[in-house]
Amino acid sequence: MLTAALRDLQWRRRRFAVAVLGAALVFAMTLLLTGLSNGFVEEATRTQQAFGVDAWVVPSGASGPFLGATPLAASTATDIAAEPGVQMASPFAYARVAAGDDGGRDVNLFAVPPGGPGVPDPDEGRAPERAGEVLVSSKLGADPGEQVVLLGRTFEVVGVVDGSTALGGVANVFATLEDAQALIFSGQPIASAIATRGVPTSVPAGLRVATPTDARDDLLRPLRQPRLAVTVLAMLLWVIAATIIGSVVYMTAIERVRDFAVFKAVGVPTRDIGIGLVAQSVFLALVAALFGAIAGLLLAPLFPMLVEIPGFAFLALPVLAAVVGVLASVLSVRRALSVDPTVAFRGP
Amino acid sequence: MPDLSVSDLTVEYSSGGYVARPIDGLDLLTSAGSLTLLMGPSGCGKTTLLSCVGAMLTPTRGAVRFGDIDVTNLAGAAMTSYRQSGVGFVFQGFNLVSSLTVLENVMVPLWAARVPRREARDRATALLERVGLEGRAKDRPGDLSGGQQQRVAIARALAMDPPMILADEPTAHLDYIQVEDVIRLIRELATGERIVLVATHDHRLMPLADQILELSKGFGAVARPPERRHLAAGEEVFAQGSVSDLIYVVESGEIEIVRERSDGGTDPVSTSHPGQYFGEMGPICGLPRSATARAVAPSDVVGYTVRDFREQIGPSSIGSLLSEGAPQ
Repeated sequence: MLTAALRDLQWRRRRFAVAVLGAALVFAMTLLLTGLSNGFVEEATRTQQAFGVDAWVVPSGASGPFLGATPLAASTATDIAAEPGVQMASPFAYARVAAGDDGGRDVNLFAVPPGGPGVPDPDEGRAPERAGEVLVSSKLGADPGEQVVLLGRTFEVVGVVDGSTALGGVANVFATLEDAQALIFSGQPIASAIATRGVPTSVPAGLRVATPTDARDDLLRPLRQPRLAVTVLAMLLWVIAATIIGSVVYMTAIERVRDFAVFKAVGVPTRDIGIGLVAQSVFLALVAALFGAIAGLLLAPLFPMLVEIPGFAFLALPVLAAVVGVLASVLSVRRALSVDPTVAFRGP
Repeated sequence: MPDLSVSDLTVEYSSGGYVARPIDGLDLLTSAGSLTLLMGPSGCGKTTLLSCVGAMLTPTRGAVRFGDIDVTNLAGAAMTSYRQSGVGFVFQGFNLVSSLTVLENVMVPLWAARVPRREARDRATALLERVGLEGRAKDRPGDLSGGQQQRVAIARALAMDPPMILADEPTAHLDYIQVEDVIRLIRELATGERIVLVATHDHRLMPLADQILELSKGFGAVARPPERRHLAAGEEVFAQGSVSDLIYVVESGEIEIVRERSDGGTDPVSTSHPGQYFGEMGPICGLPRSATARAVAPSDVVGYTVRDFREQIGPSSIGSLLSEGAPQ
């Protein structure tokens, strides 16, 4: 009886094509949202890894070196450098600052003394070596030799890092600690954290060691609610996909009541009729998943922030789509099973 | 080959909250290799009888036996098996599946019975040749005329070579040109040892039938003298769902007309007093009684055939007869 289900798909192909299109767009949005949520994690991980830091030392009450930082004396780096397990330690500063002549754009400002750990390798140009120089993300659109304005002060771009962002697509800028202290700490010799190469086995009282994972989580902290919202939206989209497919298959089942009655009258087992409907629904969901995956890949680069669709999402999509298909067919199957074969005797 | 026997078959269902009994105590015996016509007006139970014989409807009472098979008590896999290979259906509206080709429509029962695909295709092709549609195998039903669609439906009914064919108004939507082939085919189906049971209004089929079962006695079917009855209080004149050909006039006493509800209760319809009549609709239209009539107190009534009753009231009064009398 699968042949009958297939023929029905062909017979009503325009309607099913519309359903597939709608469900495919929903699946694409689901993938994009998943990629968006994963992109937050991925950019935080990349940013943290780009510093080349093995550990961070922060005040005991601070949740991390970035957004949860509590300022500490920059000279603490000298004490940390003397701790066992540490090869190098340097003060590190972070702040989110306004960029541009009108301050209309936010950037993440990271800073360490020249030569210290905490500056990524440039893809073009070099790292800042003296006051007034910055290394910027390519997302800022400035090339080496050009100038950028941070909090009203002009800096010369000496290097570019491809696609370096954090906090949901906000461009990163790397400056010297001296400049950062002047911009965000009013010139005071303080830092947000101490970045180390090597992991200190002990730290002075009042301080603690934050791992790279802690640092990544600190960058993700303000994105926790948006990520949760994205997850809820993604789940809602699964429901919408099931509703689109389910409503079309159900409408078809209503129109096919007489067919089902005839099938039952001529001895088609009820189970076979149900299987045919489930197969139709799953087939639609799988085709929609295929088109959704393609659409997701094509649309991801158009987003202004990192959309990194994880590989497992592409593997999970057909499985979840099949589940959606099965769930979407429940009402139709119930309708078909309840059809009285004597309906076949009614006139046209 | 098996015979079909129907004994004391009664079917009841709820219609608008009241008990409807389209078949009440029906008996039928049909021999192998015969064409039996079930005739009567709409609502007299022709299709209901086919549904019972086809194991699609369980009767309220009575039995349907086809050879050794107790059709009435079939259930589950046995019922599915009976529908697959014991009986073939030809429906009034053709009921071909629009999305399937003509050939695939004939193959549906074979798919249901898990017949291998090649064998099913060969069998369906042979059946299409038999009904003269071998060149239309790949067409859709919508591309065929009504007569051609009905021939496909007949081919489908024959797919599993069942020993019994049930056809419901097979000529209802066919013009006189299309109907010839279908009538010929139906007659041919019954030439072997196969039983063919046809519910129809079509009198063109009557000369071909081996047996005709009239499911409803029509207007003025039997001439007989008036029937005088004395009734004790509570005694029934007639019961809801029963069939009779008499219209009653009350001579003395009081007759109440009540309608039986499906929940076992009754609703009063009207009360007839001396000089009034009741029970005219059933005999005039050939319908089962739609209500029960019984004496409220000791009463005398006289029953007239429709013809006698009309002679008494005059032909011009038939319209007012229907509008003024009690129901049924």
